[in-house]
Amino acid sequence: MIDRLGKHPRLLRWVALGTLAAMTLVMAGCGALRDDEGRPLTTLNPRGPQAQDIDDISTPVFWVAGAVFVLVEGGVLFLMWRYRRRKGDQDGVEEPVQVHGIPRLEWAWTIAPAILLGLMAILNVRGIWKLEERDADALNIEVYGQQWWWEYRYDVDDDGAPDIITANQMVIPAGRQINLIIRSNDVIHSFWIPALNGKKDAVPGRTHEWSLEADEPGTYQGTCTEFCGLSHAYMRMEVKAVTAAEYEQWLEDQQQPFTPPEDATPDETDDDSLELAGYKEFLSQCAQCHQLNGIDYDKNETDGTPDPDYGGEIDEETGFARMPLTSGNAPNLTHLMSREKFAGNLFDLYTEDGNEGERQVNESNLANWLKDPKAMKPMAPDENRGMPNLNLTSDQIAALVAFLQTLK
Amino acid sequence: MALIEARTPLALEAGETDVKPFGVFARPTGAQTGWKSWLTTVDHKRIGIMYGIGSMFFFFVGGGEALLIRAQLARPDQKLLSADLYNQVFTMHGVTMVFLVVMPFAAAFANYLLPLQIGARDVAFPRLNAFSFWCWLFGALFFNSSWFLGGGADGGWFNYAPNNGVLFSRSHGIDFYAIGLLITGIASLVSAVNLIVTVLNLRAPGMTWFKLPVFTWMTLVTQFLLLFALPVITVALFLLMFDRLFDSNFFDVANGGDPMLWQHLFWIFGHPEVYIMILPAFGVVSEIIPVFSRKPLFGYPFMVVSGIAIGFMGWGVWAHHMFASGMGPMSVMAFSMATMFIAVPTGVKILNWLATLYGGRLTFSTPMLFCIGLVTMFTIGGLSGVTHAFAPVDTQQTDTYYIVAHFHYVLFGGALLAFFGGFYFWWPKIFGYFLNERWGKVHFWLTLIGFNLTFGPMHILGLQGMSRRYFTYSANQGFGFWNMVASIGAFTIGVGLVLFCLNIWRSYRAFKKDPYEVPADPWDARSLEWMIPSPAPEYNFAEIPEIHELDDFWHRKYGHDENGRLVRIADTEDIVQKPGATGIHLPSPSYWPIVLSAGLPFIGYGLIFDYWWAVPGALLTIAGFVGWILEPSTDPEDHHGDHGHGADNHVDGPGAPEAATPQGALEGAPDDVAEASGDAASEETSGD
Repeated sequence: MIDRLGKHPRLLRWVALGTLAAMTLVMAGCGALRDDEGRPLTTLNPRGPQAQDIDDISTPVFWVAGAVFVLVEGGVLFLMWRYRRRKGDQDGVEEPVQVHGIPRLEWAWTIAPAILLGLMAILNVRGIWKLEERDADALNIEVYGQQWWWEYRYDVDDDGAPDIITANQMVIPAGRQINLIIRSNDVIHSFWIPALNGKKDAVPGRTHEWSLEADEPGTYQGTCTEFCGLSHAYMRMEVKAVTAAEYEQWLEDQQQPFTPPEDATPDETDDDSLELAGYKEFLSQCAQCHQLNGIDYDKNETDGTPDPDYGGEIDEETGFARMPLTSGNAPNLTHLMSREKFAGNLFDLYTEDGNEGERQVNESNLANWLKDPKAMKPMAPDENRGMPNLNLTSDQIAALVAFLQTLK
Repeated sequence: MALIEARTPLALEAGETDVKPFGVFARPTGAQTGWKSWLTTVDHKRIGIMYGIGSMFFFFVGGGEALLIRAQLARPDQKLLSADLYNQVFTMHGVTMVFLVVMPFAAAFANYLLPLQIGARDVAFPRLNAFSFWCWLFGALFFNSSWFLGGGADGGWFNYAPNNGVLFSRSHGIDFYAIGLLITGIASLVSAVNLIVTVLNLRAPGMTWFKLPVFTWMTLVTQFLLLFALPVITVALFLLMFDRLFDSNFFDVANGGDPMLWQHLFWIFGHPEVYIMILPAFGVVSEIIPVFSRKPLFGYPFMVVSGIAIGFMGWGVWAHHMFASGMGPMSVMAFSMATMFIAVPTGVKILNWLATLYGGRLTFSTPMLFCIGLVTMFTIGGLSGVTHAFAPVDTQQTDTYYIVAHFHYVLFGGALLAFFGGFYFWWPKIFGYFLNERWGKVHFWLTLIGFNLTFGPMHILGLQGMSRRYFTYSANQGFGFWNMVASIGAFTIGVGLVLFCLNIWRSYRAFKKDPYEVPADPWDARSLEWMIPSPAPEYNFAEIPEIHELDDFWHRKYGHDENGRLVRIADTEDIVQKPGATGIHLPSPSYWPIVLSAGLPFIGYGLIFDYWWAVPGALLTIAGFVGWILEPSTDPEDHHGDHGHGADNHVDGPGAPEAATPQGALEGAPDDVAEASGDAASEETSGD
């Protein structure tokens, strides 16, 4: 069969044409990337000025590259067709002219692309510096990458200490430039919201600044784009852009300290409400790593503001940090339920299929996660990277799920 | 060394052989049959063949890993491989393809062809050449043995700190990476020096720089890149090894180290590495296209100079891998501009190949198809490369599948397509039979189609926001369709590769059943290797040709009329050399290269597992050194001097008066003695 296939050059020519057609389809596929419907991470649908600046460079670059592509590939196909050896060609009779080179021509096609690139370099240089510019009223947000989730810190009153510490979902006011201050707590990660700007690495020991801005309210997806180990694929995040008023409200809500659930029936001992039972479980099982503003694992109560060194502080007596995690950090859960997702923006906290579009808490996701986190997201808890399996009973899990839902 | 340096290396009296210090150090006999002769050979052609076979083996290993990756990513949320295993597979795939496939394929061609193209009997240091091969092979096997000893490296081929530290990668995979690449690095470095000296000193008389075949030129540039790039990665790997095995803190921020140090060191090596992989392929294409166009390469000086320019500029662009790493806008701007302009010499090459096709009489043989495949596919890779030379655009593209698409168009669509073309082209010269053309064409089309199906869609996936090194993706991210297409394409390439291997076997069987004579010059080609019988005899040239022109062999066959059209002036039959020359002195085989290099992996195991393993390793290595130094310069059966051999007749001898005379040429094998003397330079043969 293969012999016969190899003998039919015409058949193969059709295959070649088919390849060309397929490549045209690929090109068309690229065109479709302008539409973000069903493509939450597309780089070709800018939704903010920085992403637009990049798009304004990439569009002409792609056109020029496309033109060169058509010229060169078309040229090759034409030359192949025009100068093919024909039937009846005889060696020594139809021999080609022996051209060794035409220096003038070669200089031309050395210099011409250099000039073209030189002109396009203007775009490049302008773009590089433009992305470094900051508005005077740019809002600072600190971004911390760690295996395998993102933390954001907001210093609302500008006193140098964060007033809000949240994870995975960054809330920003639409139409205002954000200055990201990017750091890492363990390995290198990269922060990237394609619709709003390119990416910037979070490198341990260094602080990088990068900006983004959303033109309109909306939710913009992102992923970690520097290989960071086991759950690199599952280190996701999103930016939720809201109106200025909604943003102010959000700031206020987030600064509310944690309030423990009350005992529904305080008189009857040993019969806590489910939420309260969950709170007790939380204190004994979870609070070593996860912070609730105002409640400290070993000090019991603080002033209600988040502690940026939570768990990472060195105990003066023992000399060890309390938290066993390599990154020294775990998501702050004070306002967990204000976010849409958990565990690196991976699993839904809510389901949309409630009655009449009303959303309900996705209790099964939470319960499964508490039961065996590693089964849902690859981690290395035995190496202190990621959430361990605490071997919780189903009662403990039910109580914790009930308690977590109080963290509005 | 001192033992041999103590006297003038070539001052042996006729009839005298070296004094054997100990009986066991006698050299193996020069008999060139049986599998044992392959272990001790120092023949550059056999070493080239072994490089080829070794690389082909690892091509299957790396290809199998690629198919695992594509099977895992074919559909969203697949669980075929765990995240941990996936990370190992893509790391091993990358390292294998770069260091154990593309680089040694290039080494295979360089070893086999370079001495033939410059009219030499062998490389300058034949034993070192054998050492390079064995060192590479043992390093490669050592590196891959990690699969059976606790798992492969899982940090990506780029292996960024601090993710490559013990804290984040506790298996020994990355130790195997560091030590394995150190060992293969020794191989490449030694080989680079060897080939550079070969080109500098052993060119046939009259072969001045601008009469050197383009493949030799590109290989020479590549060897210089290796010479300067490998020390950098060696430093990086040493630091990594010390961090991991001896608790040093070069990359540990908590103790004052800096992870960016690794990135810079890695890419200062890593970017020239790209050109190390692609320049030999450019050389192959520049050899094949003129043959099947029946025209000289258009603009030879431009092709050579652009290759050198790429080699130089390749050192100034490494940080374009780091536009998102936070270097600061000034550095980004400088590297971004440098990267844009490296497109210029690359573009010159493409246009000159097109100009070579222009006005030619093109025969679409399998080698020609593969080479045109390179021209078309590399163009795509080059253009996508220009798009992310623009740093702001790169912040959207870097670390996505767009980059994966780009460098596969460069390395597969570039290097590997050219090497396949090279296989079909030089196969009859190397093995004395033809590969079946029809099967070759089916192989070509399957490869081309499969390749485009695999890597074409990755452009879309990358622009759609799919990052690299993801062990899976979710259905709602919209990556499903094109990933499925890519996976189908990958398996198509696999079928093509199987066909290639079947073709080798079938063609060989057909040849054995019905033997035919393979002419010395089956393609009516241009360079010197076609002037000797097929398969190439052990001694290469019965008579070292004197070079008068670029493409000298071609010009012995053809002149041109007043219109510049070809006119045959001599029959090929009358020009090519006849087989069966005797009495040619060749470097003798040696036991010690394989012994010396066999010790290195054991030292590696010792560093990783238990220092006791290093003891046999050290003993082997020391034995290798001692044996190497003490062994006589020729084997017992080499009747040194029986045919009037004298010092003056060596072309590489310092006092060779008439190196070009047939008699001198007959004796003109570079010898191990020359290797030890370090004084192989010959004014007569080094041209200008």
